[in-house]
Amino acid sequence: MRLPGFSARTIAIGYAFVTLLVLAMFASPLWYAWRTNIQEVRTELLASEAQRLGNLFRRGGPAALTTAIDSQVEGTNDGVRKIILLMAPNGAKLAGNLPAWPGGLPDRDGVSSATIRVDGVPRRIELVRVTLGRGYRLLIASNLNRFDELERLFVYGLLGCGAAVLVGAALGGVLIRRALLTRVQGISQTTAAIIEGKLSRRLAAPRDGDELQLLTRTVNRMLDQIEHLVTGVQDVSNAIAHDLRTPLSELRARLEELSVNRPNEEETFAEIDAAINDVDRVMKIFNALLRLAEIDSGSRRNGFVPVDVTNLAAEVAEFYAPVAELRNIALAFTPRGALRAVGDPVLLAQALGNLVENALKYAPEGGVIAIAVQRPQRDMLEIVVSDNGPGIAEDERPRVVERFYRGDTSRGTPGVGLGLSVVSAVARLHGGVLLLADNRPGLRATLQVAVSPAGGTQA
Amino acid sequence: MKLLLVEDNERVARFVKKGLAEAGHTVDHADNGRDGMNHAVSEPYDAIVMDRMLPGGIDGLAIVAALRQQGNRVPILILSALDGVDERIHGLKSGGDDYLVKPFAFGELLARLDALLRRAQPQAVDTTLTLDDLSMDMLAHKVTRAGRPVALQPREFKLLGYLMRHANQVVTRTMLLENVWDYHFDPQTNVIDVHISKLRQKIDAGFGKPLLRTVRNAGYMLTDQP
Repeated sequence: MRLPGFSARTIAIGYAFVTLLVLAMFASPLWYAWRTNIQEVRTELLASEAQRLGNLFRRGGPAALTTAIDSQVEGTNDGVRKIILLMAPNGAKLAGNLPAWPGGLPDRDGVSSATIRVDGVPRRIELVRVTLGRGYRLLIASNLNRFDELERLFVYGLLGCGAAVLVGAALGGVLIRRALLTRVQGISQTTAAIIEGKLSRRLAAPRDGDELQLLTRTVNRMLDQIEHLVTGVQDVSNAIAHDLRTPLSELRARLEELSVNRPNEEETFAEIDAAINDVDRVMKIFNALLRLAEIDSGSRRNGFVPVDVTNLAAEVAEFYAPVAELRNIALAFTPRGALRAVGDPVLLAQALGNLVENALKYAPEGGVIAIAVQRPQRDMLEIVVSDNGPGIAEDERPRVVERFYRGDTSRGTPGVGLGLSVVSAVARLHGGVLLLADNRPGLRATLQVAVSPAGGTQA
Repeated sequence: MKLLLVEDNERVARFVKKGLAEAGHTVDHADNGRDGMNHAVSEPYDAIVMDRMLPGGIDGLAIVAALRQQGNRVPILILSALDGVDERIHGLKSGGDDYLVKPFAFGELLARLDALLRRAQPQAVDTTLTLDDLSMDMLAHKVTRAGRPVALQPREFKLLGYLMRHANQVVTRTMLLENVWDYHFDPQTNVIDVHISKLRQKIDAGFGKPLLRTVRNAGYMLTDQP
């Protein structure tokens, strides 16, 4: 797998550039301070030397000065470190380590710098020219070249540093690139495997807690969700195929029989009515599925309005009361004050309706169904529907909200196995969950609704 | 009544046209948006049945919106395969008067269309509805049959009121669910039937002539006709 190393190289170059810039920013004031300081010290030294020699001249005249200079320059290489030259008024050299007064010097006293030739080699010097009186002239200079080495050392140091930075950055770039490539390669290999259908593969989580680990975790979470959705879709497709096949094959058989047997009119119409019922069954399944898809997409949040949940529950209870009465089931709702939430009244009514219908389906003759609206937390409402039917076994509870899942006990009863899925989806849309618990005996279903929809978990 | 059907699916159109003709209506049919628009603006109709997704460059809702913009108040029933409450709201906001989702039962279409046609007729705001010897005082919230008071729960009163306003018309279970309870889902239990039978107990039991009838495969009808 070929991966471009561009970004790692860019990082390395960037690092090197920044480091060099920092180095330059650090070195230039240092360099400037050093140069200025040295200059000052040197000028001072030259000036005080000139003062000393001047005093000597005033006290002892040219003879004393000549002796002093001679003793000073003796044994030193001429012009290498320090240059001293004493000239007589007639232009003859009295003492010093230069053969003659160099040309091109300014014709006045004071500190200046110049380039002179010593033994044919041009040298940059810093000099003090003093006129001692009676035409005697003194030249004191320090050879700047003796600092050259130091300066060269500084520059070399700087260059060396720069080179080290470059090498380090290159090495770092290579290492970063290698590390990145290793990880990116891992990610892309895993991703490729996932694309090929191995949905359970996950990115290897690095041990250290860096940003990449954070990313890895997020991606893994996303993959979990995708796997969940894809398996969900597969399950639903299988279930749809299964659940629709039954009414559709019944319908087909019915129509085929009609067309082959051609029974009398009354029977024909009875069969046609049955066929229409089959179609209605299929349509009901489709409607429920579309409803679920619509709820799951979260688009229904647009329709959120303030809802008086107590009132809504009272109306649903009233709606189903005649059915309960018919089956001799006590359907009780005791309102305890208005409890409001922001939500979709149509969906909440449907969800509560599904729970009540479920309870009606399973509650025994003479049983009891209780609806309650409560507010256990400040930001959460609960609509609780409890019955005293057979309930749902604990290990079955997580599965009954799956689409088309039908417990063994419900196989024989009418319904399409989507009721609790819808309730669960409505709860999710409203930032809550559907909780199923044991009512000892029976089922206690709790539909949670976040009071303000901002607390929703589904985007 | 003269109706316009704008529907591109040939089989559905034939089925609807035949049914409406049998119900005593005259039906013009257009199978694309352009023709539908031309028909709708050039001739007066009592109601229009409009499919949403149409060939011919103009979709159903655009026609509805255009008609409404011209000040045309003809009752329009929108037919659509697009389910979803948001789609319905969109359809009704564009100027449709009712919205029916495909696939539909013809009884449902006819019942809704009758309700629309009835609503379009100018009528005095009655404070009292009467049918045969059944009488409903909307202001006092009192119902009497043959002079004897009938005690109804508030919801039963609303249910009977809806049936009385649509007397001699088929009213489907979905229409009752939507208009009396404002619920928009299919109950899995026969809860509407139970409500109707309770109401029937109160208004028909003990009287010689039953008024509230069940219409097979369609719904119910409150009628004084034999």
